[in-house]
Amino acid sequence: MSTVPKTAPEQDPLVAAPVLVGRPDDRALSESLLRPVLEPTRKGWLALLGLLGLGVAFWSVCLYEVLFKGIGVWGNNIPVAWAYDITSFVWWIGIGHAGTLISAILLLFQQQWRTSINRFAEAMTLFAVAMAGSYPIIHLGRPWLFWWLIPYPSVNRIWPNFKSALPWDVFAITTYATTSLLFWYLGLIPDLATARDAAKSRARRIAYGIMSFGWRGSARHWQHWRIGYLLLAGLSTPLVLSVHTVVSFDFAIAQLPGWHTTIFPPYFVAGAIFSGFAMVLTLMIPARKVFGFEHVVTERHLENMAKVMLATGLMVAYGYAMEWFIAWYSGSPTELFAFLNRVTGKYQMVYALQIFGNVVAPQALWFPRVRRNVLALFLIAVLVNFGMWTERFVIIAVSLTRDFLPSSWRDYAPTWVDWGTLLGSICMFGFLFMLFLRFIPAIPMSEVKELRRELEHEDHHAARAAAQGGER
Amino acid sequence: MTYVLGQFPNDRALLEAARTLRAEGQKNLDLHTPYPIHGAEEALGLKRSTVPIVALIGGVTGAVLGYLLQWYTVGYDWPLNVGNRPPHSPPAFIPVTFEGGVLIAVLSIFLGLLFAYFGFPRVDHPVFEVEEFRSASIDGLWLSAEVSKEEGAAVAAALERLGAANVSVVDREGT
Repeated sequence: MSTVPKTAPEQDPLVAAPVLVGRPDDRALSESLLRPVLEPTRKGWLALLGLLGLGVAFWSVCLYEVLFKGIGVWGNNIPVAWAYDITSFVWWIGIGHAGTLISAILLLFQQQWRTSINRFAEAMTLFAVAMAGSYPIIHLGRPWLFWWLIPYPSVNRIWPNFKSALPWDVFAITTYATTSLLFWYLGLIPDLATARDAAKSRARRIAYGIMSFGWRGSARHWQHWRIGYLLLAGLSTPLVLSVHTVVSFDFAIAQLPGWHTTIFPPYFVAGAIFSGFAMVLTLMIPARKVFGFEHVVTERHLENMAKVMLATGLMVAYGYAMEWFIAWYSGSPTELFAFLNRVTGKYQMVYALQIFGNVVAPQALWFPRVRRNVLALFLIAVLVNFGMWTERFVIIAVSLTRDFLPSSWRDYAPTWVDWGTLLGSICMFGFLFMLFLRFIPAIPMSEVKELRRELEHEDHHAARAAAQGGER
Repeated sequence: MTYVLGQFPNDRALLEAARTLRAEGQKNLDLHTPYPIHGAEEALGLKRSTVPIVALIGGVTGAVLGYLLQWYTVGYDWPLNVGNRPPHSPPAFIPVTFEGGVLIAVLSIFLGLLFAYFGFPRVDHPVFEVEEFRSASIDGLWLSAEVSKEEGAAVAAALERLGAANVSVVDREGT
């Protein structure tokens, strides 16, 4: 007689937390997931929105300074022509990458845990890309002529130079923003229809009715919808890898010591995913608590995101090690000096923060206890966000302060407008995100319902297998 | 145009009803569910989706246009000598060619789905006449059949026999 237990004991550490707590029926799922959208406005939400709105107002003041007085209001100089502006641009665009990774790559790999977090991460991508896009434009000097970047026949006769990485950037980021928006919206249409049908007030019914275009859940539509959604995921996967690769070309194809490195494309992509997952965790941990999404965004999701963060963090650490190795191995004195300057130069504290946030802090994620501790996870995610910003700053601005000729060396210090444009863009990002949480179903309901059915099938098969095993 | 609608308690009954009605010769059947149902394509006898072909045509067109744009502008119309690289330098043209392909493929999938495949925007479809049909996006599994005015009562009876609740007949003149 064997004494095999029918089910694993609940506290078994090898059994992961579920991706969906319980098996709520479709109506209960719709109700709980639509509550943030359909409930009356909360005071706390309004207060936070107002606070972020003040930040947005301050951002507008800074943008006014930049646009009407010129970019001299920043601390930028020659040789440090790129500083907070491009640092923040690269940082924001990197944050956007986690959304596409979660929604596209994990969809293709059929990872069940992506389902309840994909909409959230995609919205984060959209807003991060919008913030990123604002920087190159305000940095142009003559931003009212930004459309010169678009190749159109004009009396100037001259065209954008397609052998330079900067026009590639324009195409990569435009394509990325468009694709992210359409992918997000295609997934959203069935849920907007649910919001339309569950809403009580006439105004909401009309608004969600227009936004869902008259979706009626037709099987004939679902068939094409599924294929189209998968194809968009398939196209987004190489796209997301190409975007940060192209961004890294802005630096890698230049001659500057500290920029001129072949490891930049993969290292930038890994860093992008790393910072993006950190931002998803930073936003998701408070939001799931406040809006009661804990049954669909479980410990399992947080733990898996922590694991992705650890893995990509190690890739970034490898990138740092390889940069040092090549600086020494190249035998180029200027290259080696650029790296020694990061440790011994004026900005050594920034470099220390980079190493602490990106390499040291994530090592705590090796421990399951840390990964399951929501507060610790939140703190590490915030540290990684800081670390990644400082990494971009060290690469971009610190490299520029010390190039080949000592006669052209010059230090850089940010002004209040530099700080204001950065903090203001963070407030604008938060402001847009708060609006998203209030007005758009943040968890994809149709996909969670489908997931529930899949899980029920799995439960059923497991129960049958267990019953057969017991008889034998 | 007359529509007959019925709600089913589970997907097995829904698919079974679709198969039975189709065997009886009903052609314009549709299911309305909050999420895609496995087996719906087979039960309704739907053909394979042609969306991938649209995506392929869009992608190839975008990539070709992206390359031609670069070749025409900096390689032919106004050659720029930058670092003495040839005016027509294929390696430098790869990123924009790729992005162009993805952009047009994505736009053709999204706009194609919305306007050609779904026929959207259409907020006045006859199925929306039934108040209970609101559940089709929440937890209801519905079947609809487009029939001639005379057939309406018979198909409604068939739906009830197959286990449907909330059976309704929607008549709409002219559309």
